[in-house]
Order: sequence, then structure tokens, then C-alpha cells
Amino acid sequence: MEHGMLQARGLCKSYGDNQVLHDLDLDILPGKIYGLIGRNGAGKTTLLSILTAQNTKNAGEVTYNGEDVWENRKALDDICFSRELETTLFSSRNNLKVRHYLRSAAIFYPRWDEEYARRLAEEFRLEPKKRISQLSKGQLSMVTILIALASGAPITILDEPAAGLDVVARERFYQLLLEDYAKTGRTFIVSTHIIEEAASVFENVIILDEGRILENRPTEELLEQFRYVSGREDVVEEACRGLEVLSVSRMGRHANASVRGGAAQLAALDGYDVDVSPMNLQNVFVALCGHGDSQ
Amino acid sequence: MHGSLNDQSLIYLQIAQMLEDDILRGVYREEEQVPSTNELARVYHINPATAAKGINLLVTDGILYKRRGIGMFVAPGAEEAVKAKRRAAFYQDFIKPLVREGKSLGVTGEELLAMTRRAMEEGD
Repeated sequence: MEHGMLQARGLCKSYGDNQVLHDLDLDILPGKIYGLIGRNGAGKTTLLSILTAQNTKNAGEVTYNGEDVWENRKALDDICFSRELETTLFSSRNNLKVRHYLRSAAIFYPRWDEEYARRLAEEFRLEPKKRISQLSKGQLSMVTILIALASGAPITILDEPAAGLDVVARERFYQLLLEDYAKTGRTFIVSTHIIEEAASVFENVIILDEGRILENRPTEELLEQFRYVSGREDVVEEACRGLEVLSVSRMGRHANASVRGGAAQLAALDGYDVDVSPMNLQNVFVALCGHGDSQ
Repeated sequence: MHGSLNDQSLIYLQIAQMLEDDILRGVYREEEQVPSTNELARVYHINPATAAKGINLLVTDGILYKRRGIGMFVAPGAEEAVKAKRRAAFYQDFIKPLVREGKSLGVTGEELLAMTRRAMEEGD
């Protein structure tokens, strides 16, 4: 599938006095599954809505294939942002039906796959006649997922698709995502709070913290830079000299440090009488974004 | 293939290791096809790029080879190649931690050798 790069440069966004995005740059390369992770209020939904021209910005630019996306029909044909549905609409009940959403998606996305949409609706047991306000949280997520998958858009963005799903449905979702990706090779950006079970699905991970991009790199490349180092306090301290120490927890004379460093620096830990173990994405995320909150 | 993935080491390394284990066990024999990256991705819920990284590692090591347009196959002599690779890692992964643990327990070199001999006699 031919498609290009989605790029943000110098994005700033404020709601009143509250600055949500700070001079943010981001490159989304074609043909990868990105995971977007960040704490509550980090600015994930704001970022995604600006990337897809569904929200205004105070400064900066968003381009797709080098063209501004704002009010650009050609660019927006290629970009699907499947947002979380709300059971209320303009502060009253959302009385629209499932089929209304599906029909407008079919009109909006030029690559819409009606047959695929029907198959997914059947699998998810979504009744077209049901009102959005009558759906359970899981069913709302399923509508979001269905629209994203059937859109066929070269850049497909899902905001918290797993939030309302039980563990079986989440596994099925990641399976569907990988099947679609294997077939089409399109770009997905998936934001999620449920990090660990999704980590292996993401080729790249974007960590957003307080409106800034902390990391945007291949997941494994990121994980390779982190270790837990534990042992006697003074030995741990000596072993970790020259490494970036993100946090240390102590228990008597025992210390456990989470550290970051290059391959050679981490290999040098072997020379000390300490235990060295890898960190998973969730651990890395907490170490980077915990800001000293109790863990 | 077998088991499931853990978060104790990088996923592509685990994929490579599982394929190696299966070659040693005769699950995949010389000149037989191994699962594709997409099959691995589907079964283990991992990104195909990660699965490909694991497979490429084995290609670099001469354990798998690519038949253009068909898929990945077990190279002739792969079993020996896996054993040679594991033997090379044996010192680093097993002997060094063994010696380190022995040292912290005050086990002398002589005692360690004696224990190793005893374990070998008792083994099998």
C-alpha cells in the first residue's frame, strides 16, 4: 500500500491556561504499529485529535506526505481516527444507532470494506439497530475497533480501544489487528493504558509525558537500554556509576536501582557482585513517567 | 513451537531460542520449512517485525536460510550450528554464574571441581 509519513512539528496546544502540548515533534513512519502510552492527562487524545485535524492547535504544523492536513480532503481520506464513543451527545443521550455510525464511516472513508465491517459486527454481536446510549462499555469499544479496522485507512488511529474490553476480547482485538496488519501493512497508532499485554504488538513505542514526547523508537531498542540492578547498597552504587539511575529503592543495606545505559555500559555490570535483570515496558514506563509518585 | 513468551528477555531472542530448541528436538528437521513471521506473529501476538528479527538472527548464524518466494528453511547442519552456538554461550551463561555463586558461598575451586565430577557421575 502506498502511503507516506505523518509528521508534526512544533505542536503547541493549550486549553485556557493549561498548556497540554509543548513544542512537540513527532514522525509517524509508514507501515508500522505504534503504541502511544502516557499517563492520564499526558495529552494523548489531544495529540491524536490534532494529528488528524479534528482539533485546533495554537502553534506548529501537521503534514501528511508533506502537505498540511488541515481541511485537506486528500490527506484526511488516508487517515482514520476512531475515537471513543460517548453515550451522551451534547449533554443529552446519544440516541444515534450503531448503523448510523457505520453508515457515516462508510461514506467518510473511501477504502471502507463493507464485507469486513459486516463480519466484524457479527463476531462482536453488535446489533445495527441498537442505540449508542444502550451499549455497554465493551460494545462501545467494539464499534470503535470495527470502524478503525474496516476503514482501510493507510493511517489508522485507535484511542484506548482496549479500555472497555475484557481480557478475552482484548486478546482477540490484538489478533485482529495483527491479521489486518499482516495483510495490509498499514500504519496503526494505538493508545493504551494496558501496557504489558500490548507491548509485544507494538513495533515502535511513543511515550508521551506532560505534553512532551519522551521516547519514539523501536520497542525492543528501548527495552534493551534498561536494567534492574540489585545487591548490597555500596556495590550497586559502584556498579551503577556512569549509568543513568532512574530510581533506587532500599531495604536495609539492600538496594534495587533501575538504570539506563548503552550496551557496553550495561555489559560491564557483569563484573560486579549484583543481580541484573531486564525491565519490561510497563516497568520502563513507570521509571520514566513515575515522577517519584509512590509505586 | 511451544510454551509462551515471558518478559525475562527480549522477545526476538525468545523467538530465536524457541526455534533453536525445536531444531534440537527434531520438531523442524534439515531442509524443512519453519513458521513464517506472520504465523509467529499470529500465534504469539507479537509484531511481525519482532518475529522477523528473531528469524534473521538465525539466518545470520547460518541456522535458517531463505528460499526466495517460499519461506524460511532449516539449513543443512543446523543442529550442529545450534549446538556450537550454545556451547560458545555455555561459559558465559552457565559457568561464570556458577563460579560466582560458588565464590559467594565460599566454595573453593577444588570443591567446585569435585562437585562437578560428582554431578556428572550421578547424571544421566
